[in-house]
Amino acid sequence: MSIMQYNGGSTIAMVGKDCVAIACDLRLGNQALGISSNFEKIFAMTERTYIGLPGLATDVTTLHEQLRYRLNMYTIKEERTMEPETFIHLVSSTLYEKRWGPYFIEPVLAGLQRMPGGSFRPFIASTDLIGCINFAKDFVVAGTASEKLFGVAEGLWEPDLAPEDLFETISQTLLNAVDRDAYSGWGAVVYVITEDKVIKRTLKGRMD
Amino acid sequence: MNSFADRFATTGTAAELRRIKEYVADDEDVSDSMWGSEAGFGTMAHGAPDFMVPSVPDPAAFLRLHTDDHADPSCRIKIKHGTTTLAFRYKGGVIVAVDSRATAGSYVASGTVKKVIEINPYLLGTMAGGAADCQYWETYLGMQCRLHELRNHERISVAAASKYLSNLVYSYKGMGLSMGTMICGWDKTGPAIFYVDSDGTRLKGDLFSVGSGSTFAYGVLDQGYHWDLTDEEAQELGRRSIYAAGHRDAFSGNTINLYHVKEQGWQFIGNYDVSEMHYNGPTGTQGYGYSVRVEGRSSANPPV
Amino acid sequence: MASADGGAYSYSLTVFSPSGKLVQIEHALAAVGQGTTSLGIKATNGIVIATEKKSPSILIDDSMIEKVAIICPNIGMVYSGMGPDFRVLVARARKAAQGYWKIYGEYPPTKVLTQELATIMQQATHSGGVRPYGVSLLIAGWDITRGPSLYQVDPSGSFWAWKASAIGKNMVNAKTFLEKRYNDDISLEDAIHTALLTLKEGFEGSMTEKTIEIGVVTVPSQADLESGKMEGTGRIKPTFRKLTEEEIRDYLAM
Repeated sequence: MSIMQYNGGSTIAMVGKDCVAIACDLRLGNQALGISSNFEKIFAMTERTYIGLPGLATDVTTLHEQLRYRLNMYTIKEERTMEPETFIHLVSSTLYEKRWGPYFIEPVLAGLQRMPGGSFRPFIASTDLIGCINFAKDFVVAGTASEKLFGVAEGLWEPDLAPEDLFETISQTLLNAVDRDAYSGWGAVVYVITEDKVIKRTLKGRMD
Repeated sequence: MNSFADRFATTGTAAELRRIKEYVADDEDVSDSMWGSEAGFGTMAHGAPDFMVPSVPDPAAFLRLHTDDHADPSCRIKIKHGTTTLAFRYKGGVIVAVDSRATAGSYVASGTVKKVIEINPYLLGTMAGGAADCQYWETYLGMQCRLHELRNHERISVAAASKYLSNLVYSYKGMGLSMGTMICGWDKTGPAIFYVDSDGTRLKGDLFSVGSGSTFAYGVLDQGYHWDLTDEEAQELGRRSIYAAGHRDAFSGNTINLYHVKEQGWQFIGNYDVSEMHYNGPTGTQGYGYSVRVEGRSSANPPV
Repeated sequence: MASADGGAYSYSLTVFSPSGKLVQIEHALAAVGQGTTSLGIKATNGIVIATEKKSPSILIDDSMIEKVAIICPNIGMVYSGMGPDFRVLVARARKAAQGYWKIYGEYPPTKVLTQELATIMQQATHSGGVRPYGVSLLIAGWDITRGPSLYQVDPSGSFWAWKASAIGKNMVNAKTFLEKRYNDDISLEDAIHTALLTLKEGFEGSMTEKTIEIGVVTVPSQADLESGKMEGTGRIKPTFRKLTEEEIRDYLAM
């Protein structure tokens, strides 16, 4: 039994047209025993950068606080908000600091990158538990249902989805993937991030 | 000289020897002791068929090496585990309820497994542990029960049937069979349940639950059980207990199969989706789920 | 001040004098004032930093002397004062820039690097066993947040942003000169010429490509920004560079 599966849980992020989406399940387990159906794994770091932290629950909290601390210090020192691409590097270096005693988390990030002209470019990335960054152009997944998520996303995702279509795609991908995973599920949360607003929706999922 | 080639050759001395062995082989392959008695039973029928085993010195150890995912999670052959099954006796007969999830590791391999094996119109067996082992041997038990009927002009008792199974699996002890089953039925003595597992345990009782989700099922079952339940109450208790396990246990869920064994034989009551039970309940009026029942009335969102 | 030599408060530790002064810092500033003149001008599309490079003897191989230093692809700096102290600060600045890159995957904004250096210099004003750095710095850089920016850091650790500034021996005259010449929509080309003219004021000896050094920041075009990172290295095109001797010769000839 891997420590990565101790609490269960999964996260996915997808790119759309001028928007990104990120979603997670709500299960917190103690191995096979389901404890909570209200454990959110996605956190807003800036107005347009969201991070999903699936993995060992105790590290979810600790790593979130560590990242929040470092992000706040950056914001104060540099008097600017951190862009998602910079943030994933911060996540990576934070994780690699603990190379020989890692946080058991595989972060997934979704955000809109502010471009020099003032426009926004969709950005997603993920890392492994010691900070190896994976820049993807379509979708990234992590957690106990990652294999299933890869499979379903490979089948459902297509380029240039509008926000509502992207929401439908990521929701169906997550719900159907976690139904095939014993350690994920118990409800889901989806964020769709566009230039002018962020939509958060809680989904009803299977409760078994 | 070349033992590998010899083993598979169709000609030559080794093959010759193999054919002779097959020819003279005793077709008495089930021992009398399997019946718990030497009194002539063993001569009546072909017993359990014998199996091809890997041609290695210790076949059981070889198989264990490749199938035991507790010892080695990356083993080649993953046997499906994880289940919740229950059965209880009450004045109206026996209630048998099971879930329908099959998992291989964390993968939900199926959500539509039939874990109640209909041995014959009066006998039900439940499935926990190795799906193939339960299915195969309980079907085989059905054959033997029918032979018993033909020989003795009366139905086999639940006690006898379960003992046959128990002795059978005991003869394979240590070879990797994995079964935890309840043999339920109605015979001359009334409703009866026997718990039989692949270790060789055989227990008579009023109330059992088997599988990874059994603790959750027991919780609900113990709390709601008494002898004088009405049929509706008993069925609801069985359903509600499997729901609890399906909800809390990662390795149980998907749907509930509910059976009721009465004097005239067993009856299939229905198939219920666990999530549907959580949100809406069996009648569609009140879900079983805690969060559903306390909606807007829990400490999570206290009244202002 | 207590006496001409600074009195009891002028040695070793930087200690406040009863009148509230840190005499060691004032001495450091005096060291800067003896150093060769350096200046910086911020233009609409870039920045120029320039300095006089004077060898005490013709026997010195002046191709070795480097007074305008590249810190990272978007930042460079120049100094007036003590060369060895500058060398140490350049090493610290480069280390800080690489450390920043290691964490964030990009080079620091000019202001962040300036703060870093200012902190280092400030620490030398209240740490035991050290003396303040005997240099003032002019730091020029470009970043996405603030665009081109020019900072000056003094031995005390204080720093300011300038449109144009001068440090070193001739700073008072040079600043007056710059005040007259500067306007808000000066182009980089004009700024380079102004820099040369300013240096010429009070220049000892002949001003050639061998006796001055120039660094420029170029604001990247919209196209440069959109093309993003360079092929192969994955890095953004450098925005700070030093002018070659040929380029300086051409500017002097104009």
